[in-house]
Amino acid sequence: MAQKPKIRELLVESSCAHNQKKKSACNAPVPGATTGGCAFEGAQISLFPYADAAHLVHGPNTCLGASWETRLTHTSWPGRDLTQMGFTTGISTNDVVFGGEEKLLRAIAYIVEHYAPRAVFVYSTCVTAMIGDDIDAVCKQAREIHSIPVVPVHAPGFVGSKNLGSRLGGEAVLTHLIGTSEPETTTPFDINLIGEYNVTGDMWQYTPLLEELGIRVLSTLSGDGRVAGIRTAHRAKLNVLVCAKSLVSLTRKLNERYGIPFISVSFYGKRDTSAGILAIAEALGDEQLIRRAREVTAREEVKLETQLAPYREVFRGKKAVLNTGGNKSWSIASALQDLGIEVVATSVRKATEDDKEKARQYLGEKGILMTNPGQEQARIIDETGADLLLAGGRSLFTAIKKKIAFADVNQEKKKSYGGYGGLLNLAEDLKNALRNPVFKNVARRAPWEK
Amino acid sequence: MGEVMHKSLKPLQVNPIRLTQPMGAALAFLGVDRCMPLMHGGMGCTSFTKVFLTRHFCEPIAIQTTAVTDVTAILDGGDAGIVEAVRNITGKVTPSLIGLHTTGLTETKGDDIRAVAKQVDFPLVYVNTTDYEGGLESGWGKTTRALIEQLVEPRSSLRGDKAVLLPHVSLQPIEVERIKEFVARFGFEVLALPDLSTSLDGHLGEKQSALSSGGITVEEIRDLADAALVISVGASMEASAAALLAKNPAMRHIRCGHLQGLEATDALAAALLAETGMDKPHESIVRWRKRLQDALLDSHFALGKTRLLVVGEPDFLAGACQSLTEAGGRVTLAISTVDSPQLETIPADRVMVGDLEDAEKLCDSYDLIIGNYHTESLAHRCGKGLVLRGFPNWEVVGNQLKNDLLYEGGAYFLCEVANAAEQMWRAKHP
Repeated sequence: MAQKPKIRELLVESSCAHNQKKKSACNAPVPGATTGGCAFEGAQISLFPYADAAHLVHGPNTCLGASWETRLTHTSWPGRDLTQMGFTTGISTNDVVFGGEEKLLRAIAYIVEHYAPRAVFVYSTCVTAMIGDDIDAVCKQAREIHSIPVVPVHAPGFVGSKNLGSRLGGEAVLTHLIGTSEPETTTPFDINLIGEYNVTGDMWQYTPLLEELGIRVLSTLSGDGRVAGIRTAHRAKLNVLVCAKSLVSLTRKLNERYGIPFISVSFYGKRDTSAGILAIAEALGDEQLIRRAREVTAREEVKLETQLAPYREVFRGKKAVLNTGGNKSWSIASALQDLGIEVVATSVRKATEDDKEKARQYLGEKGILMTNPGQEQARIIDETGADLLLAGGRSLFTAIKKKIAFADVNQEKKKSYGGYGGLLNLAEDLKNALRNPVFKNVARRAPWEK
Repeated sequence: MGEVMHKSLKPLQVNPIRLTQPMGAALAFLGVDRCMPLMHGGMGCTSFTKVFLTRHFCEPIAIQTTAVTDVTAILDGGDAGIVEAVRNITGKVTPSLIGLHTTGLTETKGDDIRAVAKQVDFPLVYVNTTDYEGGLESGWGKTTRALIEQLVEPRSSLRGDKAVLLPHVSLQPIEVERIKEFVARFGFEVLALPDLSTSLDGHLGEKQSALSSGGITVEEIRDLADAALVISVGASMEASAAALLAKNPAMRHIRCGHLQGLEATDALAAALLAETGMDKPHESIVRWRKRLQDALLDSHFALGKTRLLVVGEPDFLAGACQSLTEAGGRVTLAISTVDSPQLETIPADRVMVGDLEDAEKLCDSYDLIIGNYHTESLAHRCGKGLVLRGFPNWEVVGNQLKNDLLYEGGAYFLCEVANAAEQMWRAKHP
């Protein structure tokens, strides 16, 4: 039991700015008024990208049956991409009554025999946590039988939000994998990328530049990740937390335990990408590296500007209203500004104090920070003469009513908006949205309507 | 009929296709106008379901959760959470009905939702839908039955021109509409329960609603028991039909295992002719039957040389396999999400309850796959043809407008599968 993560401890995060005020779970769910995923989903998001490991969900079918093969996290792993496979014990009434441990042990054996994964992650869920299956003991037993890491992940959905689940995923990796193996070689510029999941290949937009600078990605949690890599993560010189507040607990603990410093960066938009690469170089502290980082980012910015030139014409004088959540309230705003689009308003309804500050910084004095976007956005579109609404599907009706272009920013994206290259993808999508007449066409009145 | 395996012997599912009862229940409640499905479980159960259905239908999905936590799982017998959830929902919107359904989590802790329902002073239907038994189809079926048992008022008289349609879960919204129209051609006013044909049919509403918009109304459900005719489609809906007949034993029941293909549609037409005493159905039905006959002939060449794998819910399998078999298609393998008596009726060499790993192991036995989104990567890996059907179907738009039923849809379906087969053969032997 000693290895089980302490949830109370995880809820108090000294490295998290807004956690100083609140000592409860980030979003204590209210019956009948809750949206958003559970802790299991958070653990799934943070660990499933390890494509060389099998991810076995010990629970009834809802947990995995509705959620496998949903996230486009790319990998260069040459073997079968286990991220895009679904493994579940799919427990039955019989297991609920008599316990599912024996079935779980057999399921692990089946996976090892048929798929030869580099590790097996075993996820507990509400039902199997409640019936008291001892997955720690089963994993230990399986580890001894199969001689590969078998990692219990204690993030049953009902312990909290996605955010907490991601932390619990990080805890599992910290307890069972990090520090269990030594890298073949080390360099002075070894880093870990934490919280980068390589969704749609976002990470590959900037890792070639890091490579060019001689910065080596020793391991990731967990985009294009390898089990063998994360086991050596304790030898990195720097932890780079990418757009993910939830894993700050992990980077703080790695700092305390192994003395590895950490920084937090974002790779959305031109300015943030350049700033991110520079921050890594500066944190590694090598003068020559910093100088080369300046050169490389400057070169890339020039290259990007040339490629963006045709779009600038399209976007000249265009105004956008942005209605999305969390760090997107400013990171997408920043990317839009890089394209030459004026962001007249952004939603801060779900943003943290830190996010609000950043949003204000990016939008300037005149920018509107919406606290109730559902009510405000239609009026703001009228007052500012905005041309584009970027929001979730629910706001589509506002765009149709106002006859302006709409882009769904909450939809599962299919191509990367990350790094310098991603900005070109975003530009292309927004250009297509702006010139698409569909929003005006569907607003046409039927001949029988007066 | 070939070999039937009712149970998988593996200790796990690999690349699962089984969906769960709570999801089926939520979907059924979405076929009731201005309903708020309330899933009694962890917030993740609801979140996964909401995202799943939103992506499948490309529509916003109304659903709420009682958000059971590790603490309330121990301390609350469900009473506090459910009552609070209803209060919070009705504080913001005014649903016509709350559709309370359970999950594996709350069934494991043993909440007595029937007792809790009595404490709620708001129109509410409850149903036990654990996710470690049954599947999507049975969750939908149980919920329909609960709606009937708890809402329909008993009657003794009949309205001769009124019919009730009880469609199984795999019927797409437009298919439900087409069955209603077909039966209406025989002079009936038809109500469907549940009715996704007016809620999740992909129509642009006036504004975004926080509740289901469209579907059968609660008042219409209360009055169902004076219908002369009950038409159930699918083995999963027979218990619902029985529950409805219990409200008025004078009602007559037409039982359809499915409505795909010439034979099944003929059987429904024959039954409706017998009911009404008409000699011949409406001219458009006569015309569509001839078109289906022609489609059978046009597609038989491609289908006759193609071995098929069909994957899905039992009632869907029964219909799709029958329809393909009529044109000479050989279903060498049918993989069902769950067990059902329907499996015994499926015309296939081999029928099994299983997953997509089973499909992959047996990939030498078929050329073309008819299945859900997850079969796309299987088809790609194994070099098979593909026709997308079933839940989920995330990467295509227009799922709710796909019609495979009756004479008309039957013709479309055969042509689509035959074209996919020919395309696959051309790609293999250019």
